[in-house]
Amino acid sequence: MTMNNPKRILVVDDEPSVTRNLKLNLEARGEYCVRTESDPTHVLTVARTFRPDLILLDVIMPELEGGEVAARLADDPLLRDVPIVFLTAIVSNAETGGHEMIRGEQTFVAKPVDLGELERTIEDHLRARTVPAPLPMSLGGGPGQQDHYCARTSA
Amino acid sequence: MSSVFHRQESLSRSWIKAGTSGLVFLVGLIDYYTGFNVSVTLFYLVPVSLGAWFAGRRTGIGLAAASALVWLVADILSRQVAQHPFVPVWNSVTLGMGFVLVAYLFGALRDENLGLERMVEQRTRSLQAEIASQIRSQQQLAETNQELNLARQRLQRSLADLGTAHVDLQRTQSQLIEAAKMESVGRLAAGVAHEVKNPLMTLSLGADYFLGRPAGNPEEALLVRDMKEAVQRASSIINLLLDYSRPRPLEQAPEDLNHLIDNSLALVRHQLQKAKVKVVRELEAELPPVSVDRTRIEHVFVNLFQNACQAMPQGGTLTLRTSHAARPEKDGGGTPRVRVEIEDTGRGIAAQDLPHVFDPFFTTREPGQGTGLGLAIVRRIMETHGGSISLANRAEGGVRATLELNTMTQP
Repeated sequence: MTMNNPKRILVVDDEPSVTRNLKLNLEARGEYCVRTESDPTHVLTVARTFRPDLILLDVIMPELEGGEVAARLADDPLLRDVPIVFLTAIVSNAETGGHEMIRGEQTFVAKPVDLGELERTIEDHLRARTVPAPLPMSLGGGPGQQDHYCARTSA
Repeated sequence: MSSVFHRQESLSRSWIKAGTSGLVFLVGLIDYYTGFNVSVTLFYLVPVSLGAWFAGRRTGIGLAAASALVWLVADILSRQVAQHPFVPVWNSVTLGMGFVLVAYLFGALRDENLGLERMVEQRTRSLQAEIASQIRSQQQLAETNQELNLARQRLQRSLADLGTAHVDLQRTQSQLIEAAKMESVGRLAAGVAHEVKNPLMTLSLGADYFLGRPAGNPEEALLVRDMKEAVQRASSIINLLLDYSRPRPLEQAPEDLNHLIDNSLALVRHQLQKAKVKVVRELEAELPPVSVDRTRIEHVFVNLFQNACQAMPQGGTLTLRTSHAARPEKDGGGTPRVRVEIEDTGRGIAAQDLPHVFDPFFTTREPGQGTGLGLAIVRRIMETHGGSISLANRAEGGVRATLELNTMTQP
């Protein structure tokens, strides 16, 4: 992967300090374009515009829980195939076995995350994801806008 | 009954009257034949006194009068025979009065005697009645006593039942308390985890960011690494809390306990070597397999080995022993078990601390040196496996942990 084709990650957590730090660390590798969102009610709008390849989603948030956000994403024809990795503070590392935990269809990573482990989980999901068909421009979030955001943030 | 008695009495009285009358006549004959100058007068007193004594005063007086008359007749006749005509009427009267007096005295004596006898009889009867009533009261007393004994036995049974119920209640109560404690610990843990892990994540990611950049000088890099380690330590304490309050389901598989002990030993080898702790393995060669969650049981062993190691800061001996055991009869009985004993030569546990070592959040270490959850989790793991663990001070010094697990063999 190169900066020309960075993977787009949407980070959703109600704590701005967490999203800021995740963005800094992930973008420091030069392989990801990260957009952050601290208001869970805005996730759907932002995701439709940003068109992420993967979403890191906090579970316990005020106003809207991560599970509810995931359900709304799954209902959206544009976003239903975007893999979600949940970040959660209320599972221990022993429960996740020191790495990601898969419950049903969901993948959980225990907070505080180990950066290397998080990157491995992200890569696994991105590799497994089937490349979606190109979306019509009319649905919004065209490639031009994406590139503009990533160019702006990763500059 | 009394009429028969009276008839018998009057019958014997008639015989007495007849007998004594005959005796008077006999004395009269003797008096006549012996002549008037030989006196047998006093002999008349025999039938008079006998009659008065046995047949009553009136009979006695009658006999006295009869005696006086017989004496008079006998005297007159014997005087005629001896041609000594004299009619001693006044002598006869005097004698008769004397006889009457004797009869009267005997009769009085007899009445007195009879009165006394009657009194004795009455007293005897009342005494007998008293004795009978006493016997009845004693019987009643015995009956009451028996009833009391029965009541006492019933009470004792009720008391025993109450005791059992009390023990059951206590057990239920402690289970309820334990459950309530677990629930509050669980809530607390989840709350603490959420509130503390988010800031920890910020710190951890911040440290990660600086670790990923070239450091200005070596101290800076060290500083950031220390920060990262501190975050990990804090996080692991919260994880312990979470694991304690919300245990994962067991993933059981047949395992060789000796093998698990050796694996756990390998995990703490470095620590043991550093503390100069010598390890003695006395493992039973042919141990039946146990069905356990390998990770959990290894966690138990590692925790106990670490505790032993910390109890021997100046070095010592860690003895590991495995053997066959049996489940106690009252607990389902006879299932073969395996026993693991872990002994150290450390300072032991203070007597007042022993009952609390398995309580959550109980620790004897300095604040910040332990969560007090280690042994609580160990016991939880053993209990979820249907096993047991106990700690005791050894007579030779140090602590012995005894663990038991059910084997997969049928009894």
